[in-house]
Amino acid sequence: MHAIAEPRAFLRSAVLEIILVVLCVALGITAPGFLTAENLLNVLRNVSMQGLIALGMTMVIIAGEIDLSVGSMVAFGGCLTAFLTGWFAGGAGFPMPAAVGTSIAATLIAGFLLGCFTGFMRTRYQVPSFITTLALLTGLFGAAELITNGFPLTPFPDWYNFIGGGYLFGIPFPALIFLLAFAVVHVLMNFTSFGRSVYAVGGNAEAARLSGINVTVVKILVLAITASLAALSGVMQSSEIMSGTATTAKGWELDVIAAVIIGGTSLMGGTGRVWGTLIGVIFLGVIMNGMTLLNVSEYWQHVVRGGLILTAVLINRLEARSS
Amino acid sequence: MTPSAHILETVGLRKEYPGTVALRDISLRFDGGKIHALLGKNGAGKSTLVKIFAGAVQQDAGEILLNGKPIDLRSPRDALRQGIAAVHQELSLVSGLTVAENILLGRLPKRKRGGGLIIDWEETYSRARTILDTLGVTIDVRTRAMDLGVAQQQSVEIAKAMSYNPSVLMLDEPTSALAHHETERLFGLLRTLAGRGVVLLYITHRLEEIHRIADTVTVLRNGELVGMIDIADATPATIVQMMFGEAVAKMRPPDVLMHRTPVMEVRSLSRKNAFQEVTFTLHAGEILGIAGLLGSGRTELLRSLFGADPHDSGDLLLNGAVVRPSNPIQMKSLGVVLSPENRKEEGLIQMLSTRANICLASLSRISRGGFTTRARERTVVNGNIREVDINVPDAEVAVSTLSGGNQQKVVVAKWLNTTPQIMLLDEPTRGIDIRAKQQMFQLIRELSSRGISCIVVSSELEELMDICHRILIMKRGKIAGEMFPHQSTLEELFAVCMQ
Repeated sequence: MHAIAEPRAFLRSAVLEIILVVLCVALGITAPGFLTAENLLNVLRNVSMQGLIALGMTMVIIAGEIDLSVGSMVAFGGCLTAFLTGWFAGGAGFPMPAAVGTSIAATLIAGFLLGCFTGFMRTRYQVPSFITTLALLTGLFGAAELITNGFPLTPFPDWYNFIGGGYLFGIPFPALIFLLAFAVVHVLMNFTSFGRSVYAVGGNAEAARLSGINVTVVKILVLAITASLAALSGVMQSSEIMSGTATTAKGWELDVIAAVIIGGTSLMGGTGRVWGTLIGVIFLGVIMNGMTLLNVSEYWQHVVRGGLILTAVLINRLEARSS
Repeated sequence: MTPSAHILETVGLRKEYPGTVALRDISLRFDGGKIHALLGKNGAGKSTLVKIFAGAVQQDAGEILLNGKPIDLRSPRDALRQGIAAVHQELSLVSGLTVAENILLGRLPKRKRGGGLIIDWEETYSRARTILDTLGVTIDVRTRAMDLGVAQQQSVEIAKAMSYNPSVLMLDEPTSALAHHETERLFGLLRTLAGRGVVLLYITHRLEEIHRIADTVTVLRNGELVGMIDIADATPATIVQMMFGEAVAKMRPPDVLMHRTPVMEVRSLSRKNAFQEVTFTLHAGEILGIAGLLGSGRTELLRSLFGADPHDSGDLLLNGAVVRPSNPIQMKSLGVVLSPENRKEEGLIQMLSTRANICLASLSRISRGGFTTRARERTVVNGNIREVDINVPDAEVAVSTLSGGNQQKVVVAKWLNTTPQIMLLDEPTRGIDIRAKQQMFQLIRELSSRGISCIVVSSELEELMDICHRILIMKRGKIAGEMFPHQSTLEELFAVCMQ
């Protein structure tokens, strides 16, 4: 009985991974140029900025919260970095590397503090994170427009392009950042007491509180980490396009949440895996890349993506029911 | 008895649940026009009987007869159609809807308008008002349920039940949330209904109430009918005898030790609408029981001692030092821990594994520098599983799959990892089987012999008599008395509690 049960359990727990492998094989056969190192690295690069945010979003959703402001945070982060770089290098007379470094640090801190704000509203005044981040979604977009005055800011030196567009050891630099962040968040969620607390808080906040877990700190931290990752993603995005642009990254929040959900994390909180999110992110990237290679129209790509989200959640529900 | 009085009878009613017989050959006759008190300990079968009448569960054998005719109750809808209505202990109004909508929920009167049916609000309000008027209740039918006090909500629940024009009305501990004058009003209402020939079944734990409202007393014990007696014959001694059976003088275990060192001193602790001027001292290794009915403030007291809820005034001293409990994190670090009344919702995180639940309160102790691994946690957890004897195939199974007894042991194990000094246990034996109860008592005695003090809240008086060194009796938010089990009898405790 053991011999039969175990492979079955394995198949069930690895549904998404198996589908991803099958998909890659199918695309390798049908789509010209899919299974080349260059294209696969390109996929990884394309997903890295949204993927970075998805890692944080996984923690937020497991903790029973949501962050709708990440797309605007990317735009805001990019614009803030560009604005500050211009200001430090121009008016303040910083040498360029110092100006860029200070601006990036300031942007990450701004992201962290905005995440803390959402967490504070949630824990102190019981304002749902859905509401606060919905407000930030609009507010930060407006702030980005105000910073840039409606035009892209381009204060960056050429070498700045490395962060979002460079290669290290033949691997896209943003992909390296993404994979490094994955490793950190994976360890955080699986091998630290903080990670255990995140699952506990999302599973049942009151029981966690009555077990002496600091629910306030956990909620504030996951939201702050995610907002910081979104701000970092904004820095990378501004580096890739070499400007601070307010209209970039529109609607990213939905792509990010979709990847997390496809990865098996429940919107109800308490369950989910960082590994699943990595697979979900890559899965969406592969599908998009494959359809582009196969010359599927962009409109169809959206329809397919919608279908995928629904199918993935359905599979998760059926699996949960059968086990 | 009025000529139109209804009669509810059962013949050989039987209900089994896996492992237990909840009701065994119950043959009863409840006459209309009278108020029938239904008594029994937890698990005696009262609620199963009420659920069968309400159509929520079906009997395995036997018949129910209403006015001499056998009736088939397959769903709550069937029961309502037959005129059997129930008011449950937990109020179930939809808080955002008006009183009128709540009373007529699912049956709102409609009228034709432009080819379609729309709600006839005039009719809805007037019908609801008529029902409330006949009950002598003055509440505006347009008030939303959320704006009503508990007593008013109770009245609306009764009005809702009355809107079905019932021949049988069942009330489950309806006064537990009511103030004195509200209880008086409710009793007046019930007498009015009885006067109309309605069969009234009244479940309560308050003995004084029985004498003020009931005409007969029916006692169940271990799923069997002990008897139905007239209120005139229902002395406290008779009722205790019927509820508990032959009083067996149990040997208290010899290994319960107690030191005279005070570890916790509570001085005039008060919380508005919960408990007032509570003063007591807990000693090292002492097992202190708190007896009291639901709503007596016992749960609120434990929660405040644990810092889960604030208190308004009074002092708490731990080992002689004044402490102001502000949150569970602080109290945990001071060695005061709580196993909450609502084990499933507040004591455990159901979707997580047994391992994760046991580690929940001691994550920082188990981890090294914030880092932890499953292997490290498993070593700790396996030790706990052996220590408190949790019956679980593997520490990774979801805690939701465990039995009530094992879940309770997980809660205790969770706290043992924090090396507590004082354990507050709120209804630790509720919903768990006899064997698990015995194990839980053994565990509490072991804690006591290790010098850990326990405060045990329980509705099961004989359990408190068995394990406690001392019992405090709580009534309406106040400590009403103190008893020492080795000097008193269960009857005496019962009499103090219920008067």
